[in-house]
Amino acid sequence: MAVGQSIPMRDAVARVTGTLAYAGDIQLPEMAYARVLRSPHAHARITGIDTRAAEAMPGVLTVLTGADLGQQGAPARNYGISRADQPVVAYDRVRFIGEPVALVAAERPEIAEAALQQIQVSYEPLPAVFDPFVAQTAAAPELHANVAANRLIHAKLRHGDIVAGFAAADIIVEETFTSPAAHTVPLETHSLAAQYRDGQLTCWTGAQAPYQVHKLLGDLFGLRGDQVRVIVGPLGGGYGGKGHVRIEPLVAALAWKVGGRPVKLTLSRAEEFVTVTKHAASITIKSGATRDGRLTARQVTMTWNIGAYADSSPLLVSSGMVRGVGPYRIPAVHVDSYGIYTNLPSAAAFRGAMSSQSTWAYESHIDTIAHRLGLDPLHVRKVNLLRSHDHFCTGEEVHDMHVVECLEACTERLGWQQSAKPTAEGALRYGRGMAVMMKSTQATSRSETRLSLNDQGRLTIYTSSVEMGQGAHTALSQIAATAMDIAIERIDLVGPDTARTPFDTSTSAARSTTMMGEAIHQAADLLKQKLCTSAEAWLERPAAELGVADGVVYAIDAPHERLTFAEVVRRAGLTEISATGTAATKHGLDPETGQGVATPHWHQGAGACEIAVDIETGKMKVLRYEAASFAGRVVNPALANLQNDGNVIYGLGPAISEQILFDDHGRVLNDNLSDYLIPSFMDLPGQLRSSCVEDDGHVYHGIGEMTLPPVAPALANAIFDATGVRIRDLPLTPERVLRALTEEMSHE
Amino acid sequence: MNEPITMQLNGTTISWSGSPQRRLLDLLRDDLGLQSVREGCGVGMCGACTVQVDGQAISSCLLLTGQVAGRQVRTIEGIGTPESLHPVQQAFIDHAAFQCGYCTPGFILTVEALLREIPAADEATIREYLSGNLCRCGSYNNILAAVKALQSGNYSPLG
Ligand code: FES
Ligand code: FES
Repeated sequence: MAVGQSIPMRDAVARVTGTLAYAGDIQLPEMAYARVLRSPHAHARITGIDTRAAEAMPGVLTVLTGADLGQQGAPARNYGISRADQPVVAYDRVRFIGEPVALVAAERPEIAEAALQQIQVSYEPLPAVFDPFVAQTAAAPELHANVAANRLIHAKLRHGDIVAGFAAADIIVEETFTSPAAHTVPLETHSLAAQYRDGQLTCWTGAQAPYQVHKLLGDLFGLRGDQVRVIVGPLGGGYGGKGHVRIEPLVAALAWKVGGRPVKLTLSRAEEFVTVTKHAASITIKSGATRDGRLTARQVTMTWNIGAYADSSPLLVSSGMVRGVGPYRIPAVHVDSYGIYTNLPSAAAFRGAMSSQSTWAYESHIDTIAHRLGLDPLHVRKVNLLRSHDHFCTGEEVHDMHVVECLEACTERLGWQQSAKPTAEGALRYGRGMAVMMKSTQATSRSETRLSLNDQGRLTIYTSSVEMGQGAHTALSQIAATAMDIAIERIDLVGPDTARTPFDTSTSAARSTTMMGEAIHQAADLLKQKLCTSAEAWLERPAAELGVADGVVYAIDAPHERLTFAEVVRRAGLTEISATGTAATKHGLDPETGQGVATPHWHQGAGACEIAVDIETGKMKVLRYEAASFAGRVVNPALANLQNDGNVIYGLGPAISEQILFDDHGRVLNDNLSDYLIPSFMDLPGQLRSSCVEDDGHVYHGIGEMTLPPVAPALANAIFDATGVRIRDLPLTPERVLRALTEEMSHE
Repeated sequence: MNEPITMQLNGTTISWSGSPQRRLLDLLRDDLGLQSVREGCGVGMCGACTVQVDGQAISSCLLLTGQVAGRQVRTIEGIGTPESLHPVQQAFIDHAAFQCGYCTPGFILTVEALLREIPAADEATIREYLSGNLCRCGSYNNILAAVKALQSGNYSPLG
């Protein structure tokens, strides 16, 4: 059985020898190179663009501006996956510093770069707004027509009697938590090549959602599905930032103008920071609880800074609402989740999308409640945590709930109740903290696959699931090997390539193993039936009397009468036999009340840690970190724990150091890896251990994000435990910790 | 025209005429087609562009080609090949020490140098030595396990 084994990643050898080609490595004959001219203004009217000098430079093929788009026969000017509010290239107005204003295609990247200097753009600056609260006031500029108060999104959840809920409480606690904009920082920046030839558009891109790119480009160019082809190689990291649709419209439009030759654009590290960000969020959370720790009511107000364009925010801000409450049984819950336009780069998914920000709030908050009640935070969580068959605040019954086990796995390994934390020593204070998370995945999505068995007995999986390091292709191969009962060495995998591999919503929200895994199981069942039917004549029995195992079809009453898969295909006079499978979910919530079914299943995770804080420097050291996620049935234990570990390490970034700093004009101040620090080996906890909570069912649960959101609140809770100081703003930098300690002392 | 620059690249003598101001990273990656040498930050922080110069692991985004004239440059291609993996590469596979793999060639070059320079490095030393290579996927635990396994097995750095 391939499922359950810790086999190495499919192309492990290519990864360790450096021979794996990423999207950015693509080389095509006649390839031209693109560079982008970007707006220096956060908000301005464009009054003129002169590209003549740039176009006259030797080696420059063309310059694209907004004026090229929108007419008859040209691509449309605006795009957006949920709302077409974003210009492919700015035409009349720019809305953030870094917005593309013109693109150059040239024979060499250096020539394209030099040509940018020759483009003259005149602007008439307009007032800009960066703070989402200011953006909702009457004095703020209106960034998009017909969006009053720049409030694009207001998602609401109304559950139970909130007045009665607060009235039943012995204490009411209200706090506000903030998290800043951040960047996913895949080591491989966004990179893609596009070619437009004879009415056919081809895109080689490092995208997490090939079919969303495919659909959007088709709409943008007015092309049929078969005229657009999106090919995705392995990604050098995704983490949500390569989700949905990013720079594909920009490069495709340039390729259209170039006409014929392929054009490639690789973003610089600095450009990454204005291409996509993590939503900065301010979350106010108010809860009522009884003396014994039971939650009676919760009211959450979330304000998300979505930046200049809608992008995926209409979906994400609504998901944020569901992800904002926490895995607790609370009789009355109100949530208001607002998405507000500002003159900053657009925000989109960041690993653990919206869950990181909201877990930061609700898991810090529950420790405050426990502290005010004088109760153990573990006890208060356990009293309230959802169990299977409980009802969540969306009204839906929850199933496969294992948050309690995840939490217990962590606290037991940490010794929460069994051992005491180290005692203070010099300037060092020790503390422990914990946190849990629960996250919805996509309510409505579809995954399709085709399995094809050839006359050599090899099985090919055609899938549009993207391999970005999470091991999706390895896990899917293991699932297929198990479902078809053949050796994993006999499995090939093709895709994503929209011309060859069937539909998949996206590789995000840790959904691939579950959804694509189920599609594979279905296709395998069908394929096995087809094999049996094909073998009927040779084994002289009806298909119902035939079995499939270990790469052969056999007669159930006489197992020695058998044919290998390859023989079945050959005797049928075919070169291959194939079958398709589809897994789809369709759920959703009432837009007025947030009641309904939010998700086909809940992602669950927990973390617990022990830290040391130096009260003289504010520096924190994570001594031990224990993490657990619920995985259903684990496909590959080694890769699963690697995901869990990776999430903790990734989560340490926004917890302790990462934030995009903007100046007063909306310009990114730290758009490089010297000033924007991501976790290094020096940040690795002294001991980091991960585990998966399993159950006997046959459902695979994705685990791409679950141990990440608990990191920041677990650390802040540990700081509180160590020092008595509650920090409500991320990141937990030494300066911030020190300032909080000093303020606390001046209060005493 | 510039004087040709000569260096040893993975054991072969390479002569190259061009600006000595060109970054070694660009020469290796764009002109010589060694795509295993990758740019992650361009400012010496991430180590994705790591090469060995005279046996020492160093960021090729910070080196100019003029600075490697007459020296030995080694990339992952000079460490092992798909047909014949180096023990460090094998250890990375055995310990699942990577996810997306973008950082992996750089890490392997640094680990190979570490085991030659400080074969018995303790854990704190290993962590510090490797802190110039970043893995955004967060594979550090398994990289550490791979290094420790190499230290305790019969891996001999020079053999
Ligand atoms: S690219 Fe050279 S260190 Fe990052
Ligand atoms: S494996 Fe992805 S950056 Fe290290």
